[in-house]
Amino acid sequence: MISRRPFAALGLLALALAACSPGAPAVATPAPTVAAKPAAAPTAAAQVIAAPTTAVAPAATTTQPVRGGTLVIAASADPGQFNPAITTAGGTHFVADSLYNGLIFLDEKLTPKPDLADSWDVSSDGKTYTFHLHPGVKWHDGQPFSSADVKFTFEEVLLKYHARTKSGLEGVLDGIDTPDANTVVMRFKQPYGPLLQRLDVVEAPIVAKHIYAGQDPTKADANLKPIGTGPYKLAEYVKGDKVRMVRNDNYFKPGLPYLDEIDFRIIPQASTAVLALEQGEVDYIQGVPGPDLPRVQQNQNIVLAQSGAGSGGSFCADTMFFNLSRPPLDKPEVRQAFYYGLDREQILHEVYFDQGRVAKSAISADIGWATNPNVQQYPHDEARANQLLDQAGLPRGANGMRFQSTFVHATSYAKYGELMKQQLAKVGIDINLLPLEVNAANDQNYIKKDFDLGFASYCNGPDPEIGVRRMYVSSNIGPILFSNGAGYRNERVDTLFDQAAAAVDRVDRGKAYGEIQDIAAKDLPYLPIVETLGYRAWRSPVHNLSYWSGELADAAWISK
Amino acid sequence: MLGYILGRLFQAVPLVLGILVLTFVLIHLAPGDPIYALAGQSGDAAYYAAMRAKFGLDQPLAEQLGIYLLNALHGDFGYSYTHSQPVFAVIADRIPATLLLMVPAVALSSGLGVWLGVQSAAHLDGPADHAIVAGTLLGAAVPAFWLGQLLVIFFAAGLGLFPVQGMSTARGSPTGLAGMLDVLHHLVLPVVTLATLQLTLVTRLTRSGLREALTEDYVRTGWAKGLNGVQVLLRHALPNALLPVVTLVGSQFGTLLTGAVLTEIIFAWPGLGRLLYDATLARDYPLLMGIFLLASVSVIMANLIVDVLYGWLDPRVRLR
Repeated sequence: MISRRPFAALGLLALALAACSPGAPAVATPAPTVAAKPAAAPTAAAQVIAAPTTAVAPAATTTQPVRGGTLVIAASADPGQFNPAITTAGGTHFVADSLYNGLIFLDEKLTPKPDLADSWDVSSDGKTYTFHLHPGVKWHDGQPFSSADVKFTFEEVLLKYHARTKSGLEGVLDGIDTPDANTVVMRFKQPYGPLLQRLDVVEAPIVAKHIYAGQDPTKADANLKPIGTGPYKLAEYVKGDKVRMVRNDNYFKPGLPYLDEIDFRIIPQASTAVLALEQGEVDYIQGVPGPDLPRVQQNQNIVLAQSGAGSGGSFCADTMFFNLSRPPLDKPEVRQAFYYGLDREQILHEVYFDQGRVAKSAISADIGWATNPNVQQYPHDEARANQLLDQAGLPRGANGMRFQSTFVHATSYAKYGELMKQQLAKVGIDINLLPLEVNAANDQNYIKKDFDLGFASYCNGPDPEIGVRRMYVSSNIGPILFSNGAGYRNERVDTLFDQAAAAVDRVDRGKAYGEIQDIAAKDLPYLPIVETLGYRAWRSPVHNLSYWSGELADAAWISK
Repeated sequence: MLGYILGRLFQAVPLVLGILVLTFVLIHLAPGDPIYALAGQSGDAAYYAAMRAKFGLDQPLAEQLGIYLLNALHGDFGYSYTHSQPVFAVIADRIPATLLLMVPAVALSSGLGVWLGVQSAAHLDGPADHAIVAGTLLGAAVPAFWLGQLLVIFFAAGLGLFPVQGMSTARGSPTGLAGMLDVLHHLVLPVVTLATLQLTLVTRLTRSGLREALTEDYVRTGWAKGLNGVQVLLRHALPNALLPVVTLVGSQFGTLLTGAVLTEIIFAWPGLGRLLYDATLARDYPLLMGIFLLASVSVIMANLIVDVLYGWLDPRVRLR
């Protein structure tokens, strides 16, 4: 009779293995979106100023664009529907923006370039913007495009349903006039500097009046059978699986697009998308997880670029914020001590796999004209942190800790939380980690406001007016997600933001934002930790992707 | 028999109703407001107030529940927040892909599992038996997502035998017979991943059930009568041993409909499991209710079929 003992041992081993397998699905939770990066769009953040840093430059055999071919793109979320004017969801914009245009296209450096508008003039008082539309543009169904479509889109769609455009323009826009079919005039109640940054296909896509007039844009059938002006037309949509688009032969940009077809494949897990790229099943992916990055960098057939801009949100910084109503966090010295106590280089390396940069101020370094180079810095300095805390009257207790703070955060920030806990323990701050499911965490931080320390990815947007203002102005304190969660009130800052929006000249605006950054660096209601930069990767035969914008494959081509 | 079935169906109605109400309450108790999934995260107070009114989210809960149940009776299961489509359409679109994954997985795990269990019981305590038992322990211990990743790394990325993800090839989009073969090619790894755990359970249950049945008196009578192994094992002992297996397979049908979420995520398979997961994260209440309704109905039907099968398999069981 065969002894049963070895098999009992094997059984115990298997049981032990089973005990190790976690029960709950820990898989596929992309970085919680957050301000302007909803549902499932993973990375996607700043950069852009420099040309793409390619890890591997393929031997360029030809620089002449080749016509034809199919580009397969990995999308991390199902678009749901194809009307980008009624939503800010990154998942929808990533796919649907290829069907439409905005008045303006922002290039890599965020310089406004012509899209539906060939040229524009700004009145000397900064209150009137006149856009001259490209003549002869046609919708996918052959109907002519005109200024009436622009007026309709803003008044009936964007200003009602597009969260960022509505909250940004509603209070300042006086009216839109259409003196003729190719001219749009936007009149503002005050000089409005940030306008041109808000008119690309991500912030203000233009939809057809003849399709949506008289209907509810959120429920129209056209949302699943879209008619746009864009380089591609929708050919097929299988929910959860794929979106096929074919070339728009009547696209108004001569010679474009080069590709016959673009296919979006919905691959929710980033590591699966990387494998698919390596195997040649897809041509482009947005977001390379840190652990996969070295392997991808060594792959001769894959080109990498870093960018902070994208259709889900641009120039994002992972930011920790204080509940300013809770002692001892109401003392600026204490908040400064936190910042000195953090080793953000280590955080950038361990948690973010160097996919980003340490944040230097309240405004992203990618918005160069608005960044203040002289703002006070807080390098890792434990001695200084300890000194500040002693001065604030918070001595160490018997266990070496001065006080405890609860860090309420989404589970995807758990690694950051653990590292922060270790780092701050050295200066006597005891962090109580409270990881929650992303909706529960946001709920507790912003709605119930039951937290000491919160965490969010705040995206600046292409202009600080879009994504930074809402963090600091006292009028934005309330039960709204990604608002002024710290509860910061400073009259001077409120005034400065108004001034910056009402100026047109970038020098003037830069001065106002510069002062804001100085004040923010002293008061520190928010601690910007890391400005996240995502990687985009594509197979080397693909060229000329506009990966920082919504119009990804507008001018892309594939060499043979 | 017919009376029995009708009676069970009749009982199912209050059950489903209870599930719907309970689900509704539980979903709304969870923190997190669907308005953010619906309206994005960049709005101001006025925007959210307007969107809330538009989607009926500002009405009292009891009223929302009442409206939902009333509409459900008419076949209107509401409007999905994240898909801008009626819930029924959203779910119906995903069912074919789900069934395509589920049915082969259940068939494979049940068929292969029973066969392995029979082999194991037929050569009890032999080397084959030990190997199968050890294999089932390993298979049960390995988590689905780890196994899936391993299969992808080894067979797909490594050997290049199978595709890494998806239901069909992105390039060329084959149609017709080539298209079907393409889908089958993509189906292999996800089905193996999904089937593994169930396979181990079916094998062990069949083995222990057969082992017990083989000690019964009627089996000894069979040997005495001179019946050969196949007749005794398969015709006489196996049907009795299969009763718990039938229960297991029945419950699989109910739970696998929405429970294959890990496999679906790894292989980017567009099934109901992933839909459920995405809907939960987005707090898409109508879609969640629709999926739970479908899941509960399928579990109830699966259990009903199992009970009827019991009566057929074992005449001693009387259905009342």
